[in-house]
Amino acid sequence: MSENILLGNEAIGYGILAAGASVVTSYPGTPASEILATVMRLVSENDLHVHVEWSINEKTAFEIAFANSIAGRRSAVSMKQVGLNVASDAVISASYMGVKGGLVLVVADDPGPHSSQTEQDTRLFAMFAKLPVLDPSSPQEAMDMVQIAFELSERYKTPVILRPTTRVCHARQVVRLPEIIDNYTPPSFEKDPFRWAATPGPRLRLHRELNEKLKKMASDDLASPSLILKGKGKLAVISSGVAYAYLRDVLGLSTSRDISVYKAGMAYPLNRDSLDRILERYERVLVLEETEPVIELQFSSRQKVSGRLDRVVPGEGELTPDVVRRILGIFTGLEDYNIPEPASQKRPSLCPGCAHRAAFFGIKWGAPKGIYTSDIGCYTLGLNLGAVDTCLCMGASISQACGFYHAYKGENNAPPIVATIGDSTFFHAGVPPTINAVVTGARFVLVVLDNGTTAMTGNQPTPAIGSVANDFEGRQVSIEQVLKGCGVKTVLVEDPYNVPNFIKTVKKARKRTEQEGVVAIVARHPCIRDKDALAGQDVYSIQITDRCNKCNYCIDEFECPALYMGESKVEVDMSICIGCGVCIHACPRRAIVAEPIRR
Amino acid sequence: MNVVMAGVGGQGIILASDILAEVAMRHGYDVKKSEIHGMAQRGGSVMSHIRFSEKVFSPVIPEGECDILLSFEELETARYLDFLRPDAWVLINRYRLPPPTVSIGKEMYPEVEGIVREKTRRIVFVDAGDIALSLGNKRVLNSVLLGVLSTLLEPDTDTWEQCIAERLPEKVRDVNIMAFRMGRDIRQENKVRGG
Repeated sequence: MSENILLGNEAIGYGILAAGASVVTSYPGTPASEILATVMRLVSENDLHVHVEWSINEKTAFEIAFANSIAGRRSAVSMKQVGLNVASDAVISASYMGVKGGLVLVVADDPGPHSSQTEQDTRLFAMFAKLPVLDPSSPQEAMDMVQIAFELSERYKTPVILRPTTRVCHARQVVRLPEIIDNYTPPSFEKDPFRWAATPGPRLRLHRELNEKLKKMASDDLASPSLILKGKGKLAVISSGVAYAYLRDVLGLSTSRDISVYKAGMAYPLNRDSLDRILERYERVLVLEETEPVIELQFSSRQKVSGRLDRVVPGEGELTPDVVRRILGIFTGLEDYNIPEPASQKRPSLCPGCAHRAAFFGIKWGAPKGIYTSDIGCYTLGLNLGAVDTCLCMGASISQACGFYHAYKGENNAPPIVATIGDSTFFHAGVPPTINAVVTGARFVLVVLDNGTTAMTGNQPTPAIGSVANDFEGRQVSIEQVLKGCGVKTVLVEDPYNVPNFIKTVKKARKRTEQEGVVAIVARHPCIRDKDALAGQDVYSIQITDRCNKCNYCIDEFECPALYMGESKVEVDMSICIGCGVCIHACPRRAIVAEPIRR
Repeated sequence: MNVVMAGVGGQGIILASDILAEVAMRHGYDVKKSEIHGMAQRGGSVMSHIRFSEKVFSPVIPEGECDILLSFEELETARYLDFLRPDAWVLINRYRLPPPTVSIGKEMYPEVEGIVREKTRRIVFVDAGDIALSLGNKRVLNSVLLGVLSTLLEPDTDTWEQCIAERLPEKVRDVNIMAFRMGRDIRQENKVRGG
């Protein structure tokens, strides 16, 4: 068996294939994206008979894997935590139905949050959905737990959630590489309409079965936290996930050997008797877990228990080694409690040369003083340019634009409304709200920012590309045709790099909303992270002439990281400028000039 | 050994930290490493922790336990000073990317050296970008910095060069090895500075 340094997500990908999954699906989202990317790479390297796809959204991804599971084959699906919200309808129902072939749902949480809208705890969702959930503390453990999860899933006929956090997904460590074999299992779907198509009556029976399963699972060995370190004193800590690793490091730095350490690999369901026995043995017990009190809530009595509920553990934010150290200080009564504010980070910006920046600049000119609803993706950073006012969740740009239209309908001086949504996000959750807006007669401009990729998460394909995985040729789905099929009468296609034309297009679209309701613009220019597309694009040398009077307009309104204020005028940081030449439109005094270098 | 690498998106920090982790693994250490992706890919702060010893539990370095801070951008250095041990080494690349408050002229870019000196006297400044440009490829600055870093860690240059070679595409392999060697050389010439 060989060893290699693997990212947590790579280790999970290895685990999924080593366990013999035959369908693996996902929708990209940080910190989960590398899981499916690894599976794809290993499938083509080892020529495995595995169907792999970037699905259109997390709900679809789950349902495809679920179908394969009830056809008797091992299946896995991965997503980030907010993706689970999208998939939740299917997941909770599948929990009642149960599975046939093992079904493992990998959901990556993001305490911090580092790159997410929420710090939600998937383990709490698991409790709500009545599904078992495993909480790994390291990449190696995450890989080992994939195997355990499949076994658990088949033993109890239930989907199983594996919940790594950012610090496991994006940690690297030396991992023992498992053998990847082609494990062909023929599909064998057996009709059982009272289970797979259950109406409300049989669902009661399924719910009872589910409760029985949970009871049995709670008597499994996994359901009792295991004693890892036996201390001499009367204090114990129960931990799970990466908090366990922090705890071991922090205890390793101290000389005290008083504290006993327990580890819960499965956070739900827990064996209540074993929790009671732990309580009997100690004077006080601290629970360290991220980010909600899931283990804590399973104690039948919490008089001796400290954690989130008695606020010894802060109610939000990541548990870092330093936070753990301070919590232990309070718990043991040895140290003052003081959690510092995290240092401010550099503000992220759209890349130099990003076509989204050009589109936002054009939107501000074409529809000034508007309400600008937006969505999830790189382009949320349009807020730096004052061209993004809202960002709720995937697809909400369009429904919120619709909502704002109805809110302002009939008011004097109702503002223009422009929704911006990326191509991948449009396919993921933008189609139903577009139909809704058309049907309800809402009037706004819908701009689909089409850079031909899912850029934010590392350039995964979209349905418009036609491919859902490498080595797979699919059929392309056209954004324009989808928009027309949703009932949008006018769909204008424009390259936002041509700023004057793009402004005209926005104005034209705005005018047409009066007769047509929703008018769409597809702002099409490839992501500059696509090397081939970038190689085909014109390149200019950008100069700032002495006409610059340091008015700051370009820096405030265009916000390209390559432009900064120098001593006597604005300067261009040539180390990051890609020479797109769009900024010449961002100077009211025409002080920015572009010389073509390559056409 | 606890090493923090810090800088901004696009400087090759994740790759440099992967190479260090690989070198440590080949010397038989237990290695753990943590990095933050996501928004950082768009020119924001990027940070990577690399830890290696007999046994490492967590991938994150506790405050006050960092042995070496390798900073790819001057101001980024200041964000991680709480991590340093009193006798830590701080290697700083001479490169300034002004944050928004500076680029719009509201604030001056701070002098970092004084702030770092309050924490440790073991500071080494390197103009890795200049060396990279002299080799005709500004992207090799991470290999220059790895060269400097290597003089504080494992002396075995073969493993370093092998790991660099394995992680890079063939056409930039040689230039990165040259950059690594030049990084080692500066540090050796620069012994007087930085304690």
